[in-house]
Amino acid sequence: MIQLEDVSFSYDGVYSALVGVSLQIDDGESVAIMGNNGAGKTTLVKHFNGLLRPDHGRVIVNGVDARRRSVAELSKEIGLVWQNPDHQLFLDTVRKEIVFGLRNLGYSAEEADARCDMVLKDLHLEELAERSPFALSGGERKRVCLASVLATEPKVLALDEPTIGQDAGQKLRLARLLQDMNRKGCTVVVVTHDIEFVIENFPRTVAMSRGRIVADGKTSSVLSDSNAIALCSLSPPQMTVAAQSMNRLFPEVSPRMTALSEVEEAIVRILGGR
Amino acid sequence: MSFLEVFQYSRIDSPLHRLDPRSKLVMVIVCSAASLLFLNIVPLLIVLSCLVPLIALSHSLGRWFKSMRGLIFLVAFIVIFNTLLSSVQYPFSYSIALALRLIALMTSFSLFFLTVQPDHLSQALIQMRVKFEFAFAMSMAMRYVPTLGQEAYAIMDAQKARGVELDKGNALKRIRNTVPIIVPLIIVSIRRALLIAESMESRGFGSTHKRTYMDRLYFRRSDWLVVAVSLVVLVFLVYVRFILGLPEWMLWQLPF
Repeated sequence: MIQLEDVSFSYDGVYSALVGVSLQIDDGESVAIMGNNGAGKTTLVKHFNGLLRPDHGRVIVNGVDARRRSVAELSKEIGLVWQNPDHQLFLDTVRKEIVFGLRNLGYSAEEADARCDMVLKDLHLEELAERSPFALSGGERKRVCLASVLATEPKVLALDEPTIGQDAGQKLRLARLLQDMNRKGCTVVVVTHDIEFVIENFPRTVAMSRGRIVADGKTSSVLSDSNAIALCSLSPPQMTVAAQSMNRLFPEVSPRMTALSEVEEAIVRILGGR
Repeated sequence: MSFLEVFQYSRIDSPLHRLDPRSKLVMVIVCSAASLLFLNIVPLLIVLSCLVPLIALSHSLGRWFKSMRGLIFLVAFIVIFNTLLSSVQYPFSYSIALALRLIALMTSFSLFFLTVQPDHLSQALIQMRVKFEFAFAMSMAMRYVPTLGQEAYAIMDAQKARGVELDKGNALKRIRNTVPIIVPLIIVSIRRALLIAESMESRGFGSTHKRTYMDRLYFRRSDWLVVAVSLVVLVFLVYVRFILGLPEWMLWQLPF
C-alpha cells in the first residue's frame, strides 16, 4: 500500500511541482494517473520509491515511512518502468540487462538467471535475449526495460507512459500483461495520456493538474467529468462525446458514459429495444 | 553541481550584457591573465575585489554567491590536500592563494558566460572569421550542456531505481558504479546528435554557402573603451609583475 499525506515538492524552491497531494493506493489496485504536461505525474511517481523526497508531508510504503529507507530498498517493493528506455540500458545483451537489476537487489546468479528466463518468455523476448539492446527498435527497448523490472516481481509496478511507441497489438499485449500482474496481486500504477487505454484497463483514475489532484475516483466518472478533462487538457473519450451529443437530442440519455457497452445500451433503448 | 550555475547565460539586461561579446572576450582574457599572473594572497584579493563589482554590474551577484557556495567543497579539498602535500615553505598560505586563484579564474570566465547570449557568441565568432559550421557547432555545444545535465540526472534516477547505489562502497566500487550512468549518457547523446543532424539537414542546413545574417554585431564606443582599458591594465600588470616587481607588502604570506 502506498500512502501520500499532504505531500508538497518543489524542484527549485520557487515553482511547486506537487502541492498538498494526498493519495492512497491499496494493495491490488489498478490505477491510472492522468494529467496535462507538467502536471506533476512523474514527480508523484518518483516519490513512491524515494527518488524524490517530499519537502512537506509523508510518503508511507507498506506501512513504513519511506524517509527511513533507501531507494534501493524501496525498489525491491516498487518497480518503476521509465518513459525513456535509453536512460537505463547500458549492457551488451538483453539478458545481462535483466540480470543486472536482479543482482543489485540481492538475488543469487542462478535465481537471477531463472527469473530472467521466465520474464523473457512472458514478454515474448526470448529471441532477443542475446541481442544488444542498442540494436533493438524503440518499442523493443521499451519492453526490455519492462522485463527488467518485472523480473524483480515488485509488489507495486509503476509505469511512466508505457504505451508510447507501441503498436495496437503490443498495447493489447501490455494491457493483458498488466491485468495478469494485477490478478496475481500486484498493484499497478500507470502514468499516461492514452485515454482509451485507461478506460479499457484501469478501474480507478487520478487526474492531476498543476501539482494538485483535481479528481480521483472511478475511471468512468473521472473521465466523463468535463471539468477534470478540461483542467488536464485531455480530449474527452470518444464514447463520452457520443453520449453528450445523444444527450442533446434525447435528454434521458446520460451525458457521462465512457464505455462502448453503455453507449450501445443507450442506443438500443432509444430505438425501442430491450 | 550548483557551482556551474555561474557559467549559464542569464537573460537579463545590464551594462555588461549590452557589450559586444568580442570586447567582453578581451576583458575576460585580461581578467583571467591577472588571476594567473600572481600567486600571492594580497594581489589575488585585489583582483577579486575588482572582479566582484563587475559581477555586480551584470546584476548577477546572487548567482555568483550561490555558485561560490557550491564551490566550498572543492575549495576545501584544494586547501586541505595542498596543505598536506605541497613542499613549499608555507603550505597553508600557498593553498589559500591557489584557492583564491581558482575563485578569481571562475569569476572571470563567468563574466563572459553569464552575459553572452549563445547566439551572439556564435555571431561574434563568425565575425571573427571563424567558419559558420564551427561557430554553430560551438554554440550548439553550449546550448546542450544543461540538457545533458538533466539527462544525467534522469539516468541516475533510472539506475537508482534498479538498485544501483551510487554513493555506497569503496572507491573502486564507486568508479564501477559510474558505468551504468556514463554508457547511457553517451548513447543518448549520440542518438540525439544523429536526430539533430537529420532534422537540421531536413530544414536545409548547409544548402547555401553564402549566408546572410539577420543580426550583426557592431562595436560601439563603450566596447572600444572596454578593450582599451583592458589592454592598458594588461600592460600595467605585466610591467608590475615582470619588470617592476611586487612591493614587499603584497608578498605577505600567512606564517604557516
